Amino acid sequence: MKVFFTLVFIILSSNSYASEQAEQLFNQLKPSLYQIKLIDKASGEKSSIGSGFQISQDGIIATNYHVISSYALHPKKYRIEYLDNQGNKGDLSLQSVDVINDLALVKRHVDHDMAFFQLSNNTPHKGEELFSLGNPHDLGMIVVPGTYNGLKKESFNERIHFTGSINSGMSGGPVVNKQAEVVGINVATSGNSIGFLVPHDKLVSLYQAFLKAAPESIEGQMAQQLTSNQDKLMTAILNSPWQVRQLGEQGSIPIIDVPFIRCWGDSNADKADALILTAVANCSLDENTYLSSRFFTGTMEIEFRTMQAKNIGTNKFYRLYQQQISSAGAGNRADKENVTEYQCHHDLVMPDNQTINNKTVFCTRAYKKFPNLFDVLYLSASIDREKQALVSHFTIAGISKSNALAFTRRFMEAVSWR
Amino acid sequence: MEIESMGSEAENAATKEIIIEEISRNYKLLHRHKLSQHKIHIGRDYHNDIILADPHICPSHLSIELIDGQWQITDNQTVNGSFIENLKEKKHAANNHIMRDGDVITLGKSQLRILFTDHSVEPTVAFSPFESFINLMRHPVALLLSVTLFTLIAAGVFYLNTPKEINFSQLLVPTVGMILGFSLWPAGVALVSHLSKHDARIMTQLGVSFAFFNLMWLSDLLESISSFNSASGSVIPLFFMSISIVLAFSLFWLNGYIGFHMTAKRRIIVAASITMLLFGGNYLVQYSNKSEFNPRPQYNATIMAPSFLVAPSHSVDEFIEDSNKLFEKTSKKAQEK
Repeated sequence: MKVFFTLVFIILSSNSYASEQAEQLFNQLKPSLYQIKLIDKASGEKSSIGSGFQISQDGIIATNYHVISSYALHPKKYRIEYLDNQGNKGDLSLQSVDVINDLALVKRHVDHDMAFFQLSNNTPHKGEELFSLGNPHDLGMIVVPGTYNGLKKESFNERIHFTGSINSGMSGGPVVNKQAEVVGINVATSGNSIGFLVPHDKLVSLYQAFLKAAPESIEGQMAQQLTSNQDKLMTAILNSPWQVRQLGEQGSIPIIDVPFIRCWGDSNADKADALILTAVANCSLDENTYLSSRFFTGTMEIEFRTMQAKNIGTNKFYRLYQQQISSAGAGNRADKENVTEYQCHHDLVMPDNQTINNKTVFCTRAYKKFPNLFDVLYLSASIDREKQALVSHFTIAGISKSNALAFTRRFMEAVSWR
Repeated sequence: MEIESMGSEAENAATKEIIIEEISRNYKLLHRHKLSQHKIHIGRDYHNDIILADPHICPSHLSIELIDGQWQITDNQTVNGSFIENLKEKKHAANNHIMRDGDVITLGKSQLRILFTDHSVEPTVAFSPFESFINLMRHPVALLLSVTLFTLIAAGVFYLNTPKEINFSQLLVPTVGMILGFSLWPAGVALVSHLSKHDARIMTQLGVSFAFFNLMWLSDLLESISSFNSASGSVIPLFFMSISIVLAFSLFWLNGYIGFHMTAKRRIIVAASITMLLFGGNYLVQYSNKSEFNPRPQYNATIMAPSFLVAPSHSVDEFIEDSNKLFEKTSKKAQEK
């Protein structure tokens, strides 16, 4: 039903002028647009589809990393194939990737110089009309008009907020302005005509770096990008002010004051029959890095929870409290191929300020393909008050040891009783 | 003089006593006869001294006669024959055989064991030091106390683990269920010992079992307290876990001691086997359910009320130092692949 309304909305709102212009643009650009397919070699059938666009006369095509991710991780299992607007097919070779910004460069064989997309030199202004191109759900190349709504405020890695209907299969397709210059690349949607684009300058940097020196190995390039991105992120977090906030009646917790970490709260104060009064604050990094359909990284979540016993004794309170903390899980999806199992240790820990005494658990698992990157999980439960508890917990995916330890140390010292 | 002495010897011999035991195929005693006559008839009809109901035995099957101070067996040309077996010789036809102490005669599908009065017996088995404990636990008051304590603990555990308000009857049902469930073990052992022709002694089994169940609750509590107070890598929780294994072994040993007559060695083997079956089986079930890769961390988050806290806390520095070691451990694992 939602889809239907969306469709109606688009049909009603698009005026004849816009459609004429869109048609003109589309006809002009379509020779440089491609559908990109990942073909499973063993079965000969496509395993994923996306869109791409040529950005140089010698056959370099830009697309999303997530369109060709299976090939990047298992080059022997797949091949990449393009389909142009005339129905010609051909193989593509993977040249370079940017996993953080979800971009990839592939190359087709060309016999003579070809038409290609111009990358814009300017960023669009708010409200500017843009046109997204791509092949949604394998239905054929289409053009979708929409508007530029600035950069998404909460993201650590910049994304353009595009109001227009982007669907799966359009991933990797270009978004152009009226001058037919690329200003962004389709990357994600959160439904109801809210789409997200990678800003074109990320593609410009990737392409220029590629022209200077092609990466030695895609895996090495990915490892380097993941490492430097987490360094950048953790430097920003560790250098930002951590505000002290009250949670429940007695808890004192840190709130990391950066725009890309957003917090939400909840409590059961409305439930009269609850045995324990609970207040929860959740903060998380509003993005993650896609590496494969079974392996995401770059996530960060922080949770604080205070509990106050209402009509129950200390022993029962602690028993129920233990049930609450006994099953913390990883914050990101990962599988056997990519990570080790978690190793944990626990201890009784009291920070030097002696304001709280905790049972603290720390777990980590290492990445198998990217050395020196880890997922970490921290859980700490106060054990010094009869009928009150303060739980602090975080998970960070894809972090180096030194950053993880620096963050953990600061975090441990920031949680206390008031 | 010579004749007289011979005569007196013959008279002595004539009154020499013999013990004939009817035994089952696995050498369990069924009946015992002590006879003091010089000729003994054994068969199916009612003239015999020992009457056997086995249809494969002839009416007058065999006789055992005291000749020159020795017992000789005569098979009366029976349909299915008589056979002798002992430790030194293989099974052979029994006719004209001179009996020795411990010989087993097979006739039809029955077996008889011949023993002389000078047959040596096993040394006396002293009462186990547990005897007084067993007698105490069997006492109705002690049994009642054990079961009451068990009930209180079970109800307490249910109460503590239920995340909502709970009334008396909601507590009663699972508690009674738990008592019945735990009674199955001693009742089962008593049933088996009854079926194997031993004394059932169900009250004793119940008393001892519930006393041990209470001890196991205690060891569980101690294990929780120790894992609450200790850091990872500590051996103290392992120590308490081994106590629960020892308790289980002791319970099974006592169950065997109460319910069955068996050698000390055999009782230890049986108790150890059941303990291994219980703990090893438990481990195997967990091991077989374990997936090849677990994406969730496995950690011990035992927490208890502050009054159970006895260990000192460590500093953040020490905790970070330990965490540092974890990274090295997982890095090594990642390289193994």
